[in-house]
Amino acid sequence: MRILDRKLLRDVWRMRINAIAIALVLGCGLAIFVMAVGMRASLENTRRDYYAQQRMADLAVSLVRAPEQLEADLAAIPDVSAVDVRISGLALLDLPGMVEPASARLVSLPRSGRPRVNDLVLAKGRWPDPALADEILLNEAFADALGLTMGDTVEATLHGRRQTLRIAGIANSPEFVFVSAPGELFPQPERYGVIWMGHEALARAYDLESAFNEAIFRLSSGANSERAKKAIDALVERYGSTGAYGRDRMPSDRFLVEELRQLATMAAFLPAFFLVIAAFLVNIALARIIATERSNIGLLKAFGYTDGAVAWHYAKSALLLGAIGALLGSIAGVWLGRLMASVYRDYYHFPRLDFDAPLLTFLAAWTAAFVAAAAGALAAVLRAARIAPAAALAAPRPASFRSSNGLFGALARRLDAKSRIILRRIVRFPRRSATTVFGVSLAIALLVVARTFPAVMDRLLDLHFSQANRQDVTLSFIDARSAAVLNVIERLPGVIYAEPARIDSVILRRGGRDVEEALIGAPPNARLSRLIGLSEGPVSTPVSGITLSRALAEKLRAGPGDEIEIEQTRGRRIRAVVRVASIADPMVGSSAYMDLDQQARLFREPGQITGANVRLDSSSYARFNREIKETPVLAGASFLSLAEQSMRRSFDEGVGYMNFIYAAFAAIMAGGVAFSAARITLAEQERDLATLRVLGFTRAEVSYVLVGELAALAILAVPFGCLLGTLLAQWLMNLFETDMYSFPYVFNPGGYVFAILFTLSCVVLAALTVRSGIDRLDMVGVLKSRD
Amino acid sequence: MLRMELASTVQSTAANSAQEQAAGPTFSLRGLSKLYGEGASAVHALRSVDLDIAERELVVLLGPSGSGKSTLLNILGGLDRPSSGEVLFKGESLVSMDDRELTRYRREHVGFVFQFYNLIPSLTARENVELVNEIASNPLPAAEALGLVGLGDRLDHFPAQLSGGEQQRVAVARAIAKRPAILLCDEPTGALDVRTGVRVLEALVEVNDRFGSTTLVVTHNADVARLGDRVVRFLDGGIRQIETNAKRAAPTELVW
Repeated sequence: MRILDRKLLRDVWRMRINAIAIALVLGCGLAIFVMAVGMRASLENTRRDYYAQQRMADLAVSLVRAPEQLEADLAAIPDVSAVDVRISGLALLDLPGMVEPASARLVSLPRSGRPRVNDLVLAKGRWPDPALADEILLNEAFADALGLTMGDTVEATLHGRRQTLRIAGIANSPEFVFVSAPGELFPQPERYGVIWMGHEALARAYDLESAFNEAIFRLSSGANSERAKKAIDALVERYGSTGAYGRDRMPSDRFLVEELRQLATMAAFLPAFFLVIAAFLVNIALARIIATERSNIGLLKAFGYTDGAVAWHYAKSALLLGAIGALLGSIAGVWLGRLMASVYRDYYHFPRLDFDAPLLTFLAAWTAAFVAAAAGALAAVLRAARIAPAAALAAPRPASFRSSNGLFGALARRLDAKSRIILRRIVRFPRRSATTVFGVSLAIALLVVARTFPAVMDRLLDLHFSQANRQDVTLSFIDARSAAVLNVIERLPGVIYAEPARIDSVILRRGGRDVEEALIGAPPNARLSRLIGLSEGPVSTPVSGITLSRALAEKLRAGPGDEIEIEQTRGRRIRAVVRVASIADPMVGSSAYMDLDQQARLFREPGQITGANVRLDSSSYARFNREIKETPVLAGASFLSLAEQSMRRSFDEGVGYMNFIYAAFAAIMAGGVAFSAARITLAEQERDLATLRVLGFTRAEVSYVLVGELAALAILAVPFGCLLGTLLAQWLMNLFETDMYSFPYVFNPGGYVFAILFTLSCVVLAALTVRSGIDRLDMVGVLKSRD
Repeated sequence: MLRMELASTVQSTAANSAQEQAAGPTFSLRGLSKLYGEGASAVHALRSVDLDIAERELVVLLGPSGSGKSTLLNILGGLDRPSSGEVLFKGESLVSMDDRELTRYRREHVGFVFQFYNLIPSLTARENVELVNEIASNPLPAAEALGLVGLGDRLDHFPAQLSGGEQQRVAVARAIAKRPAILLCDEPTGALDVRTGVRVLEALVEVNDRFGSTTLVVTHNADVARLGDRVVRFLDGGIRQIETNAKRAAPTELVW
């Protein structure tokens, strides 16, 4: 090893505490990067392989009723490589040990052989015997959540007829990676599942003998999907089709795509934040090394080392730190990624999901680490290269201070000498002070962001479950019924109040754009289920026209006064043109809203409703549930408290888990910044502090000078940190916004207090740790040294 | 002006010191040794030094580098501890003082002047003096202390705006403002040229005369020795010779 390199290693060793702080911060950023990018790639691969192996549908179309002979025509479409026609429906389930009725999507299996499209992976058990009408397959998430296994039976109400079904096997399908009930926001595996059963049995239940109501397609490679859709539409139009659609309208795939997008966002934003901090730490550490190395630099140059060689020598120490950080980040990233992959695999029941970050990820991580380190080192290294040898070898003049007459001058004159030292140093070295303030601000900001997320979630859940939806249960009927059915519902045990509800699944079209959404009809002055705007509070539905959520309006590029076309996707497939009355900002969902009566008239079912929102007396909860399980008109019952619980649980497990990691990383960063700043302040002031000790100042008095400067800068950083955190949180909330949720920034005072106190504690702790250096100050040595 | 003041006081110095010597020593050193390291690599910085230093006396400690003079100064200043032996300051043992007591000792009795000035760069000349005055019981006003060393017109200059000699005189003013019983100077002119060095020494002598501070000046410059009442020559950790100057030379008479 060359002597200079040996010197370099010793230099880095000498500032090892700073080096550790830098490497940890870099490591945190890169760990998130490797984890998120790797996870995204792994999930993408898994999705691709899973879809390919199980022949995930490219297109689907649902109909009212089409004859089975149509299958041959559909299969003959040039772009289509495989087609399956099937029967699909909803059923209410009565499960042993469960008070509330659950519900399930029913999907028919082919009469013989495996599905050609959307094939299943059998997790346990066997395929149902086609000869036995009551044998079914259950999706794994549902079976796991309820502890159901082979041989268990499930009581189901199919199209108003109660049937006992026996579980033959447990299966998964690429079509149902995410399973959520219609109208529900979040998967609730214990409340909603998928049941696959024999075609004949289902055909009998739904009066669809020799017919089907859904077709799914695989396209041949290189097929034109738009042409295929047109060809399919031409064949099925007269059977009550609302048009063939692609994966962008298949709920499970939409969820997956959204998940991938969020991982990409995470990979882009958070690591950048850490890299900036790391660069900043490298900068202050290296600037310090070079300041203490002045005479060595002069010496090297006097010996004949070129400016470039000197610059490279110091740049290498930065790159070494980059390499350590990148190594730490790569290892931690893979570890985190594997952890996350196992969470994903269990949660979504992928047949396999291994964390496998592409080589390019690591290449990018290492490059980013080197770039951050080099960027941080740049200014300091250039300074080293520019030092003239003679100047470097001569004794440095004391840092120059000038008296100021402004505010600081007046303030300085009022202070005692020790405080004056603090104030003058802060004012005299504005860049150095600013970097410390900046670093501490960033730490506060990141913690503010980390603490804002849970507050936003709370706000969202509160708004949705306590303000917008005040019903205890939402009942949905198998088809539209006269509003008179409310009288029946009001007579159910425990019902205090029932409000009519109407939800039509519709396609909204405008200017060549179409979106499938729920159209929610509400009675005027609804008391239970209300539309709550983010800023405007409760919004009453317009007397005429339609209200669009902002996300939906943006997708359709529609504003108030514009006309849009809507078409039912179920029932009578009625089309109508309506005028947009207003735009609303619900936090949850991206639906459209109408006056209930107007909506019923629009779809030529005046006075008819599709469900009811009900307020219950909790003492009659069990009796109510027993009763509704026997009520044939019901297709589903959604219990708000259960939905809230499951939503909170999944937030805690997903968002909460990630949030914990961010908070931990933010803490590491806050600590890193605080320790670096404290150690560097001590190193810079060592001589002055030792002189003070010699002059008879006590340790406490000398500590005040050291800790006081840090404390002053940290306190100065508080408003900046809060401001920066607020801006970042707002920006991030926008970034994470999805179709389903909009995340408004929520002011969470506790979060700010936490961020401030935590960061200041880090600074104090760092200062106290460094303060012990005052006890070891070399009073004798400092008197003999020049500077 | 300083020159004139000094000229008038210099004559009386020798008589003064002779008279004060009778009042009992400020420092009494017995068997003082300082060992750095252990075993074969141990270095004897001081070997069993015995010395008494009288009140108001100006003693020059002379010797080559490593002869032990700075080690002695550090021990007398309460910055370092001897390995063995005893140091009494006005009858009180420095050896038995703990860290806190040594800090108080420095705070109340000792003024330091260092080779490299050790001023606080962020404080002006006046503030550097006031820094010490804040913790002293009956200090000289900073402006007066700086006036004494001829810097009355540089009060609000920062160290970076002062020459080396001026900086060292600020250090002297800082050391004497608390009217210390002891003034310890380690190579006070080591980093200065002749002309500025003389000005600093003039200031030291002036302080010794005026406040009667017992003054120890460490130097390796033999000519500076003529300044003191006594000259203690160090070699290899021990005292080789002690000379008494019949008459102290004025700083202006020195050449080096």
